[in-house]
Amino acid sequence: MAEETPVKAVQVKLVLLGEAAVGKSSLVLRFCQGDFNENTSPTIGAAFLTQKCRLENRIVKFEIWDTAGQERFHSLAPMYYRNAQAAVVVYDITKASSLEKAKAWVKELQRQANANIVIALVGNKVDLVSETSATETTPAATSAATEGDDETESPAEDDEDSATPSPAAPAADSDDARQVSTVEASTYAKESGLLFFEASAKTGHNVGEVFTEIAKTIPFDTIAPKPAAGAQQPGRRNANGQEGGRVSLGADQQAKKGGCC
Amino acid sequence: MSLPMHLRRYHEKSRDEQTRDFFNVPMQEALPGPSDPPSVVKLRGVHHTRGGGTELQGMDINAVISVEGKEEVYAGRLSLLPPFLCFISLDRKSCRCTIPLYTIRRVERLNSRAGVFALSLATWHGMRIILQLTSLLPTAEHFAILLRDALKSQLAAMKQLKPFLPSLYSEYLLASPASSTAPHPHGHNHNHQPQTDHLLLGTELGEKGATGTAAQDVEGDLRGPGGEGKGLYQRGLGETFGFPGDARKMRERSKMKLWREYFMIHGRNFTLLRYPPFQRLLQVGLPSRLRGELWEVMSGSIYLRFSNPETYGLLLSQNAGKSSQSTDEIEKDLNRSLPEYKAYQAEEGLARLRRVLVAYSFRNPELGYCQALNIVVAGLLIYMSEEQAFWLLEVLCDRILPGYYSPSMEGTLLDQRVFEALVHRCLPMIQEHFVSVDVQISVASLPWFLSLYINSMPLIFAFRIVDCVLAMGVKVLFQIGLAVLKINGEALLEVTDDGMFINLMRSYFATIGDSAHPNHPDPRVRAITNFQELLVVAFREFNVITDETILAERKRLRAIISDEIEKFSKRAAVRNLKHIGKFSKDQIGIIYDHYFAAVCSEEAGSARESGSNTPLPGDQFDQPRIQVDAQGRVETRIDLRTFKVFLSEIATWAREETITTNAFIQRTDKKIADHELIDRLFFAWDSQKLGTLSLQDVVMGLDRVMTGGLMESIEWFFELHDKNKDGYLTKDEVIQLSESLLFIFRNEPGDVYLAAVSKFILNAYEFGDATAPQGSVEEKKPFDGDLETASGARERSNSTAGPHNLPYLNLATFRMVVLADELLEGFFDHDLSASFELEKSETEDYHQQHQRSEGLLGGLMNLVVTNENKTRLNRLADGFGAALGKHAEWRKPSLAKSTDPNQSGSSDLRARESLLTPAQQQGHLQHQQQQRNRSESAASQISQASTKTVSSAGGGSSEEKKSLREVEQRYREESVMVRAAQEAVMQRPNFAIDAIGDSDGEDEEEGEDDSGVMDEVEAFLKAHGADDEGLKGEQKKVATDLLSAEPMGPKKTTTSTSSGSLVDL
Repeated sequence: MAEETPVKAVQVKLVLLGEAAVGKSSLVLRFCQGDFNENTSPTIGAAFLTQKCRLENRIVKFEIWDTAGQERFHSLAPMYYRNAQAAVVVYDITKASSLEKAKAWVKELQRQANANIVIALVGNKVDLVSETSATETTPAATSAATEGDDETESPAEDDEDSATPSPAAPAADSDDARQVSTVEASTYAKESGLLFFEASAKTGHNVGEVFTEIAKTIPFDTIAPKPAAGAQQPGRRNANGQEGGRVSLGADQQAKKGGCC
Repeated sequence: MSLPMHLRRYHEKSRDEQTRDFFNVPMQEALPGPSDPPSVVKLRGVHHTRGGGTELQGMDINAVISVEGKEEVYAGRLSLLPPFLCFISLDRKSCRCTIPLYTIRRVERLNSRAGVFALSLATWHGMRIILQLTSLLPTAEHFAILLRDALKSQLAAMKQLKPFLPSLYSEYLLASPASSTAPHPHGHNHNHQPQTDHLLLGTELGEKGATGTAAQDVEGDLRGPGGEGKGLYQRGLGETFGFPGDARKMRERSKMKLWREYFMIHGRNFTLLRYPPFQRLLQVGLPSRLRGELWEVMSGSIYLRFSNPETYGLLLSQNAGKSSQSTDEIEKDLNRSLPEYKAYQAEEGLARLRRVLVAYSFRNPELGYCQALNIVVAGLLIYMSEEQAFWLLEVLCDRILPGYYSPSMEGTLLDQRVFEALVHRCLPMIQEHFVSVDVQISVASLPWFLSLYINSMPLIFAFRIVDCVLAMGVKVLFQIGLAVLKINGEALLEVTDDGMFINLMRSYFATIGDSAHPNHPDPRVRAITNFQELLVVAFREFNVITDETILAERKRLRAIISDEIEKFSKRAAVRNLKHIGKFSKDQIGIIYDHYFAAVCSEEAGSARESGSNTPLPGDQFDQPRIQVDAQGRVETRIDLRTFKVFLSEIATWAREETITTNAFIQRTDKKIADHELIDRLFFAWDSQKLGTLSLQDVVMGLDRVMTGGLMESIEWFFELHDKNKDGYLTKDEVIQLSESLLFIFRNEPGDVYLAAVSKFILNAYEFGDATAPQGSVEEKKPFDGDLETASGARERSNSTAGPHNLPYLNLATFRMVVLADELLEGFFDHDLSASFELEKSETEDYHQQHQRSEGLLGGLMNLVVTNENKTRLNRLADGFGAALGKHAEWRKPSLAKSTDPNQSGSSDLRARESLLTPAQQQGHLQHQQQQRNRSESAASQISQASTKTVSSAGGGSSEEKKSLREVEQRYREESVMVRAAQEAVMQRPNFAIDAIGDSDGEDEEEGEDDSGVMDEVEAFLKAHGADDEGLKGEQKKVATDLLSAEPMGPKKTTTSTSSGSLVDL
């Protein structure tokens, strides 16, 4: 605990969802590359990894559940996304059906998961399209439209609007491999109030941004620290500010292994 | 989309099946005889009917077992489960064996002291087993007869044994001469059958001259990993790439020596007997070279491999080059399967893994491939050949881990729930803490179970757990899991979230090879590893977790899990529909419920079993409703028969509803109606022309018929009958369309509908003749009023070939004709779409309906009324009703909303009825009856009616009002009469209810009593039975005497086979 005293580390439970083979594991691997827990296991149900991320005034520790994409594991997913503060829903921009599946996931999350969950929609494999407009998609992150949801009123220090880049320019979809246009996906994301990115796990393009943006968007002040033991009180969720004491035994062990991105 | 229909169909295993499972004996259908064709694709649902052959009878009997060369004698239960003979000692742990009858060379009845019925079994491996049948003599004799019959049936299999045995390492191991340290207790056996052992050597060492090299080989074998052993035995990747772990540390050599000694006395592979030392040898870890063989012996997969020698090869060759969703998924996971093991960094290892997984996905297409199987199979292949691993995989998926890897993974979910329940029971503090911090144990324990711990701890330890699971069953997974939690109990109480829990478990498993007591002064205590401690805790403290515990918990929780899965898959299925038309989510949910209720319905099911159902394309495996599409996705689709069941729930006219009232209850009996119209709907909705409908097809079909207005309804009804979709109905099709209308109207009261249809036909022909395309009407006759009839028109067109098949009536004309009739207009405007009703299916809470009780009476009803006795109860009630004169039945109309016969015909119906004169109504009744007789052309009846209709059509409004009054009056009179009759009946005194001959309840209770009795008997036997070390005193003396007893002279029947086996009884 002592090592981290100057900056408070906040734990964020994040779950990765998406059709099989859209590159969920690759994205996490890219994000955690270098200093993730070495014995990552092949995905059975879900792989568990951790990664830390430094923001201006705090360290965010992501506890990442990389779920199995196989359809039959779908019924196990609730176990992993319950209590998650963030979700990354991945699709493959070269496979139209994967966006449909992603939409289904988003719907399910919005209905079943934590009400305050921050969802990012990520179109993976941009490296497969001979993108003429690579520069255009770089700042493709559109902020979560959290209007109408009082619970997620963003705190002042995480002013997400300031981070809002220009909306994705309509990409000229002349390339063959691409099946999901940037406009289509970003429009959907905007409508549904999701963060949106196009990324490449292979090249690393935009991967860090996904997680940084999520970290910025999460309303930390509304996340109550979990009681060390004893009954959980969901009602308290909005009441308390964050608490440094959250970094406890488990986090301490993790701190030795993990650095910052 | 797939559905866990088997969840609804789930039946608890019968006693016989449980016994077979316990002894690892496959169901008979899994064991084709040598002459049967190889079974390539898994055949499920063919239970109890074994390929025409007569099923051999099994039997249980009390017996005492003893083996030549062993002191111990055990009393227990001997089960003949053809083609196996199984024994379990009374304490259910000391001694057990499963011996295939094809390994028995000779059976003799022993001549011994009076009253003792004893058999001597000589096995292929020269072992002599003495079985004392301790039941009454006639029972024992009966058992012997059954045994003889079963043995005879195995003559062909006996011949296959010899070529099979060289595939086993134990044969190779024992073929080499005994080392000096191992005494050979079977010296005299060699004198008996020197030939046999010689034959068994079979392989390279056939000649005794090869002794020298053989000895070296044995050395090599005992050396463990590294040097590749010789011999023809089937081997795993470990022989080439090295077995995990340090051979010296694991004391491979001495373990192998111990096993060799064990084999010599207790038999090997097929004839292996499990005596107490077996358990000890098992728990110290199996030697790597022997592991694969012992796995298949302990799990019983060896019997499948023996009986299905061609299957694996055929699966690979028949499916070579095919790809499916499963093969794609397999391909993606190959590189993620124990990548730390050398063989899986090389093409050789990956190719084997691929072949086994792909072969199994084609063997069991419904299961296909499930992530985690890659890990399990990768583990198996280190110790086993592809074929061995393939069959063990089948046993794992079918028996040891049932439902773990199925598309809904219900077995996994269930066992996780069972595990949580056991944690709750055995470790309540941990359970409470986890509940309080809202962490699910499954987050960590799910992979333990799914991968048999192979993915969770270092391989050398994980495989020792696999050893125990395969030997003792799935309870080991639970025992280990509980022990892990217990050992880490203190740390677990500090856990506050998923992440900490996972990390704690990870670090525990990472240090599992470390000393459990690193600071203890005694080096022997220091040498105890965490893993050893884990096993001790698991098998000592949690030995209360038995097979029965698991079965009982599964039984208790299955309904809950099934409900959850169904709700989940319903949500997913509804969400995954591409189009839901104008339906709401709730309505889609109702459609879904009806759809799957139909799939699971008895009507649809029984039809399939009776085989009256034409097989559908692509249904080579047993469930015609589950289809695997080109991408290998499993999709539930319904066939025509199931569709009829479905439609009968949705559309009022697709069922016959008979409402019966008697003195007690009013009930509605539903029967499925059958008409070409329903077939037409089915084929019209089959968007992909597969002969089956998906849920999506049904939703889109219903959307069109339920939400359309007048014009849309007219259009789809027209299209439904326009077979060639040319935009025209032929004359035949006009008739068919009319028949469809009549079918829908068949139960409507009054004959207005009949009249309307008659008029429709008439008008259709009139307008049709005028508007039909050139050439389709051969001669245009002037229409001369009443004289021209539809049947006349029909006859005319029949006289020349074909014209009735020519385009005749187009949509515009059809519409015109329909709109000309007020009733038909109303029908197409709202009645037709309203005849499809989406109401909550009764079976929504299918699994829990039995647990529900609505008040005292409801609960009583649920107790008394089961599906089986419902009809009987109804019949009984009808009987009383009839006796009391209170029995009444009527058909529920399809379109009218009311169900009360006294007011059948709503007011607007009655208004329409006035179009007819009372005289015509007489005729109408007849028509309604005739209508069922479809072969009689509808046209002829209709023509009569139509003429009348036409004549009366000009009746005018005054007449209309008059007849309306008449009708109302008549109804009123009738209802008064009925009421009076009912009242009269009620005056009668109540009869004493006698002769209620319903014995159903009694039968059921008997079953329970029976098992209770059995339990008592078992408890008695346990109390008076043998202890760990077998029998003592008198009984033991008898057993020892028997060893030297002579075979009985008389009563000897001998069957000899080419391999020289004898069956003497």
